[in-house]
Amino acid sequence: MAGKTPSEKRLHKELISLVKEPPPGMIVDADQAEQNLNTWTINMQGAEGTLYDGELFQLQFKFGSSYPFESPEVTFVGQNIPVHPHVYSNGHICLSILTDDWSPALSVQSVCLSIISMLSSCKEKKRPPDNSFYVKTCNKNPKKTKWWYHDDKV
Amino acid sequence: MATTSSESDSSRKNTDNKENESKDEQNNMFECNICLDNAKDAVVSVCGHLFCWPCLHQWLETRSSRQVCPVCKAVISKDKVIPIYGRGNTKQEDPRNKVPPRPAGQRTEPDANTGFPGFNFGDGGFHLSFGIGAFPFGFLTSFNFSDRPHGVPVGGQLQQDDHYLSKLFLWIAVIFIVWLLLA
Repeated sequence: MAGKTPSEKRLHKELISLVKEPPPGMIVDADQAEQNLNTWTINMQGAEGTLYDGELFQLQFKFGSSYPFESPEVTFVGQNIPVHPHVYSNGHICLSILTDDWSPALSVQSVCLSIISMLSSCKEKKRPPDNSFYVKTCNKNPKKTKWWYHDDKV
Repeated sequence: MATTSSESDSSRKNTDNKENESKDEQNNMFECNICLDNAKDAVVSVCGHLFCWPCLHQWLETRSSRQVCPVCKAVISKDKVIPIYGRGNTKQEDPRNKVPPRPAGQRTEPDANTGFPGFNFGDGGFHLSFGIGAFPFGFLTSFNFSDRPHGVPVGGQLQQDDHYLSKLFLWIAVIFIVWLLLA
């Protein structure tokens, strides 16, 4: 394929390095990602010794054509959505690097690490206080939400 | 997807070969932090991070209100990145000139005189004033065609206001003269 766009080129490089050296507890579904470079699924294990120890989660990444200048759309999918004060029951994640604080030097790997460390530092498993209201009213795309980042403890 | 498999094959071969790996690592040092490819038209930020100029330019355009280094979030700007010229590159052209240059900002110099603009005779511009000698309203009709003291582009809003004011005063003067003639 001669006419690969810069975004596809970069996704390809990221996929290769993620397959080659995955961060602990993370496996990317490489076959699916190779078929459609714009949607990746990553299987994630809760870190040992944390409240999520032994749990399995699925993270979905959707990349737009202007990736990496625009952040990917990242949500939890599948049966098990982690119960966490920053994760809504529809899988949306309140994390500043996914919108305002995104930088093109971040990668799928660094986003995964941020999410796993966000989970790991959790002290008490509970949903966000506005969960039911948000889930009823939000857009399907979490990037359309005007997030209000106020809690940097977890 | 033929390229996909061949590329991942070659990367697997690389892991087998230690020499290649260390070479790879060395090459990584000169990868652009945005496209992850070897930096093309390389520039380095003052905080020391390497980018292709086209990549960094696109990032600066994407967040033009908040221009920060993608790696360390230090404040950066187009004027403060340093182009890197390697050996053997005969055309030592500043890569920043290749991408369409950013339009220059416009700013208005504050007015030197603080008095009423109608009394402004000092800076050698062309003035046209008319009025009827005995009346103290003459200054109201004075037109100010003078150039700005330093030839700086004038903010459109300010110029419009001036224009509007002089028109208004002209009409007041005309009405006043007509009233005088009729009375």
